[in-house]
Amino acid sequence: MPPGLDNLKHIVVLMMENRSFDHMLGSLKAVDSRIDGIDVQNPFQNPDTNSNGVTAQALAEFQAQLQPDPDHHFPAVDLQIFGGDTSATRQPNMQGFVRSYFHQQGDVGHSQKIMYYFKQSDLPVLTTLALQFAVFNRWFASIPGPTICNRAFAHYGTSFGKVDLNPIYLNEPFKSIYTRLIAATPKHTAKVYYYDTTSSTMEVANLLQNQPELFGTYSQFLDDCKKGDLPDYSFIEPNYSDHETDSGEEVANDQHPDHNVQAGELFIATVYQAIKDNPDLWESTALLITYDEHGGIFDHVPPPACTPDQFTADGNATGTGVPFKFDRLGVRVPSVLVSPWIPPNTVVDRVFDHASIPATITKFFLGDYSPRSPRETSADVFIEPKGGAVDPQRNLLSLDTMRNDCPNFDA
Amino acid sequence: MTLIHVPRPPKNAYDPDRPVTSLLNSQVAHLRKAESELPLRYRSEIYIHAIKTEGEAARYIHEVTEAIHAAHEDAARARRAPKRRRSLEIAAAADERAERQRTRKASQRSTAKKAKSGPGRQNKS
Repeated sequence: MPPGLDNLKHIVVLMMENRSFDHMLGSLKAVDSRIDGIDVQNPFQNPDTNSNGVTAQALAEFQAQLQPDPDHHFPAVDLQIFGGDTSATRQPNMQGFVRSYFHQQGDVGHSQKIMYYFKQSDLPVLTTLALQFAVFNRWFASIPGPTICNRAFAHYGTSFGKVDLNPIYLNEPFKSIYTRLIAATPKHTAKVYYYDTTSSTMEVANLLQNQPELFGTYSQFLDDCKKGDLPDYSFIEPNYSDHETDSGEEVANDQHPDHNVQAGELFIATVYQAIKDNPDLWESTALLITYDEHGGIFDHVPPPACTPDQFTADGNATGTGVPFKFDRLGVRVPSVLVSPWIPPNTVVDRVFDHASIPATITKFFLGDYSPRSPRETSADVFIEPKGGAVDPQRNLLSLDTMRNDCPNFDA
Repeated sequence: MTLIHVPRPPKNAYDPDRPVTSLLNSQVAHLRKAESELPLRYRSEIYIHAIKTEGEAARYIHEVTEAIHAAHEDAARARRAPKRRRSLEIAAAADERAERQRTRKASQRSTAKKAKSGPGRQNKS
């Protein structure tokens, strides 16, 4: 067993909000050509409503640029991915982002801002982690749609047929990853850490209502890291709103437009640093940083077809008049896996989506488990399961000795 | 090890008066559904259709999240409490049974005495 896997006791997932891969990490292609970002020699373009080509440019701002919030409901994402082609033989071409954003304000100049991306120096935390550990070239949202249904894939491996923001009703027999872990023999531990009770969770209809004991706050996460009491599996939610608390003003740090992107950078750094500052935890923890969906912002990689789920959203639910069998992934999002056992500059080309999260956690901690949704069953894992032979080509925690050159942030 | 500086967001990043997004609206709707299943005493008095800003949404989200936790904690306490009451009830029932047995025995003794002397008296009369 490779020592990185042998030592691994905790997996932490931090899921941010609504930014695409190219928007956040596209600049890194200039640093490492294996990273599938923006080719500055031949930059990606989208047509505007005057049929002029709009080029991807490193002009993204931290706040006050993407107003109104770019549409990322199912019909809008369908336009973004297929460029308005509704034929039966259509192929994803990623040509509809500018036109989709134009629909919201009718302003051609403003619609071009959807093609802006951040410079590497703008995002010192995310870009450093991407270069220092493992960055995923092909991690897609689970559905070409909005937040709640995409987050459901991270918790359940399915959205139970939903493609929108409406409450999700559990459809037995698919249990959440948390329920699976705490009900297992031997028992495992799992927790959802939301930022605070004022930000709360985006997983409200089910888990919080029925199993509030699974939840903790971010300050409890920091305490648990300090004391070495982290559960086997932790899922961290950022702060979704600007709000006041007894200790003062809390700035939203989820990076959802139009929330400040620097606040999210700081948050990612505090999560990383909380784990790293406890040497025992650092040695035995893998941290996945990912984003729930692209938020309507451009990306150049067409999402691939995938194994259909056992649910179908009808034409009314999708808003396009065409049913969706959950047989295509959503737009690509930034994803980075952090561990001192991962070699620097690791670039992963295999295809993942958020169903890979319960798939990985289940296989790593529980081994074989059923029932799981067809989407989860077919999803790839980003950490190899313990026991049995480990394929060195797939194992990302592959170093024989732990690194001692990992960066620190002044978070 | 490299120490990397993380820039802080500017003070004007904070804006609780920002119009509420569809995401926060949906979070409010989810919580409204959860709240509707709570006993009346835990429910918020905030009218969700009047929520227009992020700060207002946050206040409602806070109230309901706290209420869900409070309702579950109270329910857990209540589930524990009946056990104690039940044991008291069992103890009380045991006392009652002992009392009933004492009364029955006393009554049986009295009936037996009457049976011994009564018929004679009756016969005598």
